[in-house]
Amino acid sequence: MSAPEDDMVLLPRPSALTFDLVAKCTTTKARAAVLTLPHGKVQLPMFMPVATQASLKGLTPKQLEETSCRLCLNNTYHLGLKPGQKTLDAIGGAHKLQSWPHNILTDSGGFQMVSLLELAQVTEEGVRFLSPHDGTPMLLTPEHSISLQNSIGSDIIMQLDDVIATTSPDHARIEEAMHRSVRWLDRCIEAHEKPDSQNLFCIIQGGLDLELRKECCKEMVARDTPGIAIGGLSGGEAKAEYCKVVDTCTDLLPDHKPRYVMGVGYPEDIVVSIALGADMFDCVWPTRTARFGNAITNSGVFNLKNAAYAYDFRPVDEGCTCTCCRPPSEGGLGITRAYIHHTAAKETAGAHLLSIHNVHYLLDLVRRAREAIIEQRYPAFAKDYFNTLYAGQTEKYPRWAVDALMGVGVDIVGGG
Amino acid sequence: MAPSEPHSLAQLPDEMFSIIKAAGNGLAPRLGRLSLPGRNVIETPHYLAITSRGVVPHVTQDTYVRDTNISGVYVGLEDFIERGPAQVPPIYKFNPPDGASPLRCFIALPENSLLVLGARRTPPVAAPSANPNRTDSIAVCTAVGFKTLRAVDYANAVEHLQPDIVVGLGDVPHGRSLGSKRIEKATDRTIQWMSDHVQSRREEVKEHNAKQAKLFAPLLPVSCLNQQYYIDSLTGELADEVSGLAIYDLISVGDLPEALQHLPRLDLTAPQTPHEVLQRIALGMDILTLPFVTAATDAGIALSFTFPARTASVTNGSHTEVLPLGTDMWPAHHAIDVSPLAEGCDCYSCTNHHRAYLQHLLAVKEMLAWVLLQIHNHSVIDRFFQAIRQSIKDTTFVEDAEAFRNTYDSAMPESTGLGPRIRGYQFKSEGRGESKKNKAPFGRLHEVKEKLPDSALPNADAGADVLEEHGFAEKQQ
Repeated sequence: MSAPEDDMVLLPRPSALTFDLVAKCTTTKARAAVLTLPHGKVQLPMFMPVATQASLKGLTPKQLEETSCRLCLNNTYHLGLKPGQKTLDAIGGAHKLQSWPHNILTDSGGFQMVSLLELAQVTEEGVRFLSPHDGTPMLLTPEHSISLQNSIGSDIIMQLDDVIATTSPDHARIEEAMHRSVRWLDRCIEAHEKPDSQNLFCIIQGGLDLELRKECCKEMVARDTPGIAIGGLSGGEAKAEYCKVVDTCTDLLPDHKPRYVMGVGYPEDIVVSIALGADMFDCVWPTRTARFGNAITNSGVFNLKNAAYAYDFRPVDEGCTCTCCRPPSEGGLGITRAYIHHTAAKETAGAHLLSIHNVHYLLDLVRRAREAIIEQRYPAFAKDYFNTLYAGQTEKYPRWAVDALMGVGVDIVGGG
Repeated sequence: MAPSEPHSLAQLPDEMFSIIKAAGNGLAPRLGRLSLPGRNVIETPHYLAITSRGVVPHVTQDTYVRDTNISGVYVGLEDFIERGPAQVPPIYKFNPPDGASPLRCFIALPENSLLVLGARRTPPVAAPSANPNRTDSIAVCTAVGFKTLRAVDYANAVEHLQPDIVVGLGDVPHGRSLGSKRIEKATDRTIQWMSDHVQSRREEVKEHNAKQAKLFAPLLPVSCLNQQYYIDSLTGELADEVSGLAIYDLISVGDLPEALQHLPRLDLTAPQTPHEVLQRIALGMDILTLPFVTAATDAGIALSFTFPARTASVTNGSHTEVLPLGTDMWPAHHAIDVSPLAEGCDCYSCTNHHRAYLQHLLAVKEMLAWVLLQIHNHSVIDRFFQAIRQSIKDTTFVEDAEAFRNTYDSAMPESTGLGPRIRGYQFKSEGRGESKKNKAPFGRLHEVKEKLPDSALPNADAGADVLEEHGFAEKQQ
């Protein structure tokens, strides 16, 4: 396969990454690659835990490192409010703030608009919203977002995009948002002061309208950013629609650039999205759900706060190799379900232990997926994944996942 | 990390506890060594970290091993038995392979850490009723409120759980003083409970030759003279089963008989400051529990004292200013301060992070703030005790303690921020209709929006110039 030819002749934009494709699945669109970033190499596909306010919910950077994480997210919106740009400049960026020697990705602050939509207004200049800390009105422009991310010093920075819920019935608004996101990308590229140490990713918008998405892909690919994100998803749309958008976009994206689907997600979403050609994922879910006492496993999610687990002295996830689950004889803690039950919602350390497990689970899931891609057995991996998750009950498989995988040549229900 | 003292698992003295040096007879600071098979040899005076539900608050067990030098912990059984007596508490049903200690395995405490179990946390929450303890039971505070713990169940439970040291059950009326008639009753009960416990231990040994925890005898919070019958049984028929003393009030060491002085003393008197720690060491306490460490952590305070006082107190003209015992990490002036939490500290928090990060984490209420503070504060205490032992060895303890008293403030600094979310045991219920324990960190903004003048929210068509005109925000150039 060759990279799509651009009609426009542009000087290659400065980039602070190299992308080495290691393998491509011959059936699906799954890819394995090595992405070299300013703070070291990461393996794609990759899951990125979210350290919203420069800390991953009670884990020390050392503990995060032990989960094998080499890239975590910070949220520009939150860091812009606290500690604020002046402080970030004085300290020398987010790596120094949180003593994280590996890579950081920051969003633009745009996604928070979806959740604050009622209180945010988008103009051509930028987004106006109220500070959730004290209600102070604030304006976030593409220039300001990039300037903030330059101060944060993250290895991957995101353009400010006009995010609206994909479920919005206002098609004209969705179209406007897509075009505005392209215009804002130009302003972001213009405003970006450190292209040789920070990689600016564009964000494909266009709601669930595939034609808008295609147009957006064409416009943005032409702008030759080091990486490409597919945005505006994971906002409550039907999963089938989500898959169509990802599938449509990846068809139009160049082979030699990383593709990041923002805000995804659940293990099933990730397994399917990898097959659809996506490389990077992030979600707060593993850590958030840990605080509610939920353990993520191959057989599904278990709420260890349930009384049934009070007397269950098996490891949180049998066979798991994380620090929390590994037996002491293998250097782990041998934490039992009963102990998580004992501490859940009573001592924060219980949530930290479960966060360690959940983050490790997702990192390990994409690692296993990567191995399968390299060994040309991703279709079998996906099939096996659903088989284990639903204990062989194919009638329980989610329709959207079956269809999406069928669309890339994998039948997870039938034989063979 | 502070260098740990030469601990060797191989060199086990015959005695569990040996006194190496005592500065005098009776109440005087003393150096000792506590060694139990398979555990760190603990040089005393030393401290035990206090746990909540089996964990040093905020510190996960992997961080405990990697980033602290804590040598032992104190665990309260009341943290584990909220399902009893209606149901068998889960931990009683836990039987890890190879006969390992169910309690140690359950809380994932490393093999070399000393595990000390008592019935109640320290300091315990006082029971609401006036006479909570009964003839055969005491009141304990569980996650679901006060329950009774029968002496016989306690004795059976601790034999199953296999801690290294168990504090026997005493009729200690936490939070209340003992009247003379009540003392008599408390003495009788404690003699009864301890005798029964000792009896069942002897039978256990005869039948199963089981590994047994060392039994520490609780002293009632009155003078020894006032609990003479109990003291008599401790020096008499119980003597060979009692390996140490648990102290709930300093008054009971005031007239401690010679015959009990060789026993290690576990201090459960909840000292509030390092000054009170020094006072207890001066009275010959060996192993201390220090609730003020986690209290400082929760308050956002990084302890900063050293012993002997390293820095001479600042002399300002004629009067001398005392140094604070710690630094409140909440104030915004730390925001860009990339120095360690305490000067010269080599703990994980101080060598990897800085004040600016701590201040940020506290300001946004990220849980990591209290993790890092807890690591740091325990390392300050580690060095404090190491220095205390050196000082006793050098026979300079009295002068050093005096200098410390003159150098440092007598109280902990006040915290200017809020602690972490209040957990169950930190909250004393006042009955119906009380307000929420934790204030919601974020409110709905609609109220704020309503209070803003209309002009503050121009319509969607307005350009940035209009916004700037309205004083809405600055336009980014």
